[in-house]
Amino acid sequence: MFKVRKDEPEYAYLPDVKAPQQNQYGKKIDLSIEHGELTGQSLNINNDTSISDNPDRYKQHGFYFNADNCISCHACESACSEKNDLPPYLAYRAVGYVEGGTYPSYTRLNISMACNHCDNPVCLKGCPTRAYTKYAEYGAVLQDPDICFGCGYCTWVCPYNAPQLDMKKGHVHKCNMCVDRLEAGLKPACASACLAGALDFGVIETTPENRDQLKTSIPGFPTAEITNPNIRFQQTKTLPQDMSRTDATVLKYHRNDATGEYEPMLDEQRKSDKKDWNLKKLLTSHENAHIAFTLSTQAVIGAFFIVLFAQYFGNDIGYADFAANVSSAYLPVMVTLLVLLSFGMAKLNLHLGRPHRFYRGFYNWRLSPVSREIAGVSLFFTGIAGYALFAYFNNEITGTIADLSAVVALIGGVGGFYYMYKLYRIPARPYWNHWQTGSSFIGSAFSLGGLLIALLVSLTHGLTMTAATIDLSAKLILTGLLIEAMGLVFHARNMKNSHSEGAVSHYEQTTTYGKSYRLRNILLAVNIIAVALIVVYGLSGVGGMVIGILLSLSILLSAVLGRALFYVLVIPTTMPGAFFWRNKGFEEHARETGLAEMPQTGVLPPHH
Amino acid sequence: MLFGRNQKKPIKIADKGVVDWKYTTCGYCSTGCSIEVGLDKNGAAVATRGAASADVNRGKLCLKGIFEHELFKIPGRGDKPLMRKNFYDAFEQTDWDTALDKVADEIKRIQSTYGRDAFAIVSTGQIMTEEFYTLGKLARGVIGTNNYDGNTTLCMSSAVSGYKRSFGSDGPPGCYDDFEHTDCLMAFGSNLPEQHPIIYWRLKQALEKRKFPVIVVDPRVTMFAQMADIHLPVTPGTDLALLNSLAYVILDEGLEDQSYIDSNTTGYDEFVKTVQHYDPVSAAKICGIDEDTIRHVARTYAKAGSAMSIWTMGINQSTHGSDGVCGINNLNLMTGNIGKPGGTSLSITGQCNAMGTREWSACSGLPGYRALEKEQDREEVAKFWGIDPEFFPKKRGLFQTDIFPAIETGQIKGMWLIATNPMTSMTNTARIRKILEKLDFLVVQDAYQDCESNQYANVYLPAGVWAEKEGCFTNTERRVNLIRNVIKPHGDSKPDLWIFNQMAKRFEQGEKIKFPETAEGVFDELRQLSKGRMLDYSGMSYEKLESQKGLQWPCTEGDETGSPRLYTDGQFQHPDGKAKLLALPFIDNNEVPDDEYPFWMNSGRVVEHFHTRTRTGKVGNINKFSPTPYMEMNPDSAKELGITHGGYARLTSRRGDSVVMVQLTQRVPPNMVFIPFHFHECANRLTLGLLDPHSRQPAFKQCAVKIEAVVDQQAAAVRNKEARAF
Repeated sequence: MFKVRKDEPEYAYLPDVKAPQQNQYGKKIDLSIEHGELTGQSLNINNDTSISDNPDRYKQHGFYFNADNCISCHACESACSEKNDLPPYLAYRAVGYVEGGTYPSYTRLNISMACNHCDNPVCLKGCPTRAYTKYAEYGAVLQDPDICFGCGYCTWVCPYNAPQLDMKKGHVHKCNMCVDRLEAGLKPACASACLAGALDFGVIETTPENRDQLKTSIPGFPTAEITNPNIRFQQTKTLPQDMSRTDATVLKYHRNDATGEYEPMLDEQRKSDKKDWNLKKLLTSHENAHIAFTLSTQAVIGAFFIVLFAQYFGNDIGYADFAANVSSAYLPVMVTLLVLLSFGMAKLNLHLGRPHRFYRGFYNWRLSPVSREIAGVSLFFTGIAGYALFAYFNNEITGTIADLSAVVALIGGVGGFYYMYKLYRIPARPYWNHWQTGSSFIGSAFSLGGLLIALLVSLTHGLTMTAATIDLSAKLILTGLLIEAMGLVFHARNMKNSHSEGAVSHYEQTTTYGKSYRLRNILLAVNIIAVALIVVYGLSGVGGMVIGILLSLSILLSAVLGRALFYVLVIPTTMPGAFFWRNKGFEEHARETGLAEMPQTGVLPPHH
Repeated sequence: MLFGRNQKKPIKIADKGVVDWKYTTCGYCSTGCSIEVGLDKNGAAVATRGAASADVNRGKLCLKGIFEHELFKIPGRGDKPLMRKNFYDAFEQTDWDTALDKVADEIKRIQSTYGRDAFAIVSTGQIMTEEFYTLGKLARGVIGTNNYDGNTTLCMSSAVSGYKRSFGSDGPPGCYDDFEHTDCLMAFGSNLPEQHPIIYWRLKQALEKRKFPVIVVDPRVTMFAQMADIHLPVTPGTDLALLNSLAYVILDEGLEDQSYIDSNTTGYDEFVKTVQHYDPVSAAKICGIDEDTIRHVARTYAKAGSAMSIWTMGINQSTHGSDGVCGINNLNLMTGNIGKPGGTSLSITGQCNAMGTREWSACSGLPGYRALEKEQDREEVAKFWGIDPEFFPKKRGLFQTDIFPAIETGQIKGMWLIATNPMTSMTNTARIRKILEKLDFLVVQDAYQDCESNQYANVYLPAGVWAEKEGCFTNTERRVNLIRNVIKPHGDSKPDLWIFNQMAKRFEQGEKIKFPETAEGVFDELRQLSKGRMLDYSGMSYEKLESQKGLQWPCTEGDETGSPRLYTDGQFQHPDGKAKLLALPFIDNNEVPDDEYPFWMNSGRVVEHFHTRTRTGKVGNINKFSPTPYMEMNPDSAKELGITHGGYARLTSRRGDSVVMVQLTQRVPPNMVFIPFHFHECANRLTLGLLDPHSRQPAFKQCAVKIEAVVDQQAAAVRNKEARAF
């Protein structure tokens, strides 16, 4: 048990206060009412089997932040890092700020934020490995780095940037609410260290001494609706109408006078109209593995469904010729699909911090779309592998098994595909949280699947294709491209006008990555026109072959570029950073200039 | 395990395995927090915590203190003494005897060739009081140079000078407990939340219990300015005009405490005559604070039951720093706010032991607030040390800021730097570089081999740091506190006390004087030498300091608690027992912005760094909050110049140029930039540093610069990175 000093100052002790029955979200604060069976056990902290007699042990606790008072002295975050022995490049708690007004009527609002131990812990629900647990004790949401395999999905879904992906250690770790201190009756290290009367801690919905409010929002803090966070605020001083961030996210929070709430929007003052390529950043991000995985999986699922379709229905709808073509290219097609899918899955697995723990990906199939995606894709893989094997033989038993395998692949493919889409519908990531994510994935399945089949058929038939095959492939590709394009048009319009981080994503899309974005759009338009022309006029001869090859490359390039933009442009609804710390812009600068090579810069150098 | 899993997993939480906590006092600023350093079973320092029952910090620490245990293992420490013929040769490792012999020989050579004062000693505010006293004994009693000063000339010299001029002696009369009693607090050029977070916390605690007006005078909208009830965004360098005008209003409206003035002060008539020139209408044009606000503030302050002023570098580091301090003292004397709970003039000190050097190092005189100018003081000390009083000069020698120009013109040939880094800390870096090059012989004694001044050293002596040694610090509120030895000095480095003692042995006169081996032995001399004086230590012992977590002087023999305040009886240290109200005409001699150099350059501290970053620049968990230099600039001005947020810009002054990363913020006015002074080859490449006529402290905070956008941002980034090693 955490050792309390004989002369421990009074401010460090958890106060004895009466809490209401329910919190502001309508949830019971006393967690033992619904989870009585979980009470009276040891938390087993560092193998200490004692059981605390903290009278509020089964009440939901949370942080209290008085934003009027915070001076950004960093004592809270330092006390946290000291206690948890954290390296300089990472922190469980961070202080950022927003600022507004004009000298000398200038206001800076500092925000200290760690984990909010939410009622709806999206991290826990998203984590594929079940590394997260929400305890009945204090309502703490704890994460176990020994289970985590370092996929970082929890860092995507958390709106507060609470879970920290440690790129050096290859796993996530986060705020543990200092449950060891709580068990001893003390507030967490951060709250005990506060030097400004800003950060406090206690049973949720209780107001510390000398404080009045129990707000669930302040400017810069993402909406509480996503996760029902267990943090309460006081913020009484009138702030300027616009509060801007100082980090590289060109975002401000604008007061809506009708509601009094501050809404995120693009900071016009700081924006520039310069269009850039930024290809290096675009193509070398940590999320590259996802580009490879999603595109290849979608291509393979699309292609396999086309194969199945051709096999089972080709004759009926007048594409017997196509079916025959596919059928005769059966082996190279299936092998290619398997290889391609293996490539995508390997890329995904190798990008994990702890690839050898890949098998844990299914653990949270009850809650996590990631687990379901992995399960679905794995099932699909099994299905097509089975199909490839058994359809090779020509007898009734293997035929039946092949049919069954096809069904398995179908189920796995559809399920995997759906959850692959679903896992990107993250409220904390507005740029992704749009149906366009789905249209893009479906579009890719059609266009890349169609293209893949067309290429394989042509390769296995001496670089020739019948007009009917060309026609069907072109129609499939065209359908995919049109779906993709339609989604993009709606998405861009929606993001541009949105009151969210999506507006900033759109701004980055048209400036920082403006040239890359334009190239993708031009390619997409050209591809659509070219494929449409092929649908109308067909394709033949050497010229046709050259056009076909060029067009294929163009479609592929557009797909990769588009998917890379998808990953690099997302801006989470995260907490504002400071000028150096938690500023993505400075982190990049430190890596580019070599400042990051000095460990005390607090930025991991690029080779990690 | 509400949900997430069925089987309860054991929880792992970092455990540093602390088996023992050792008592120390923080080695950064002068707040004087009591710190306990946690040792694991191998004796390694692994944790820090604020001592819970210490009155100063009551268990709290700022971020620098929180990571102070990491000091023991940061890079750049000196291990072995180093020597070289010329500064442009490579250093070679040597042993202590050779290095100390060499230093002693060079001191003797220089003194015999060019005179005793041709060798200068410049020390610090960083080492222990016992070490300061021993160094003073060595410098004044053995080596006998009168060009001996400390880097406190760069930070607290104006406060010292102002206290002496007003009250007859140095010594801040107030304490932190005054926050609990005051009815109005006015802060001049002091940014407590950033510079002294624990003192801010004490103030905040007092404000939580009882609301009273807080007035902050600062050209920048600091967090303190933002939290204040009234913020006076004063024009840089014009505080004295504001102070005189506040006095004008108080006199004009009859709000002064005439009975206090009559019975405790002199100089009233002259003071009143000078103040008459600073009516709010005239003063407003100088200091940029409108006349109504001046009147409002003056009334608020004068009408408060008790009112206190605090100040830091905003006052001290200006061309009239000493006058500014006297102006604050005037304000408090005329309102009867000295020596009473909640009524005081409290300078908020910078370095952990700036007070210790002021009290005991004999830089500006002789130990125990004694003056070279006083015959009785010279005799007392000479007798105590057992030397001839005639060995002492009869007037103090040069200040640090005059020692360097004397090197420039050849009067001083050798120098010993102790725990100070003028290459980064002094104004006009280019000039300092040239000056250091000119020395015949430079010895640098520092814990950090990579401190930039070492570039010009002929001998480098590696010293221990903070709790690698034992001894005392005195804090801002005159509290003497103890640092227990926690671990042994890094490598072959030695405590500064040991180095001074060894050096003394190499001089004939050093053999005659007793140099106690242990810090506690030295402390005993302090007790004897201070007995019956204002800074009476005689009631203190190491044991008592540890158990009470520090004691405030005067603490006379038998006194168990020490004294929170000075001058409670209205008796001051001038020979007539009275304080002086001083006539302080404001002379505007600053380098003000003009067409060619249109911006003010203001410099200052950030919470995560200490001084020249030889320590904080290497502790990742604090350095990360500003790992590279930057400047705050107003976005409206930046727009006109095409300067962008997060990019680099070039600043030029009449001294040199600097390339700095830009942080755009409305915290600074359109005609000003603010640059943290901590970084090497940055702010001080630009500063002018006109000297205060009384304190010789440089005006770091006021000079004029021009700013231009940098086209080649990549080259700028490279230049910035290459300019410093940490």
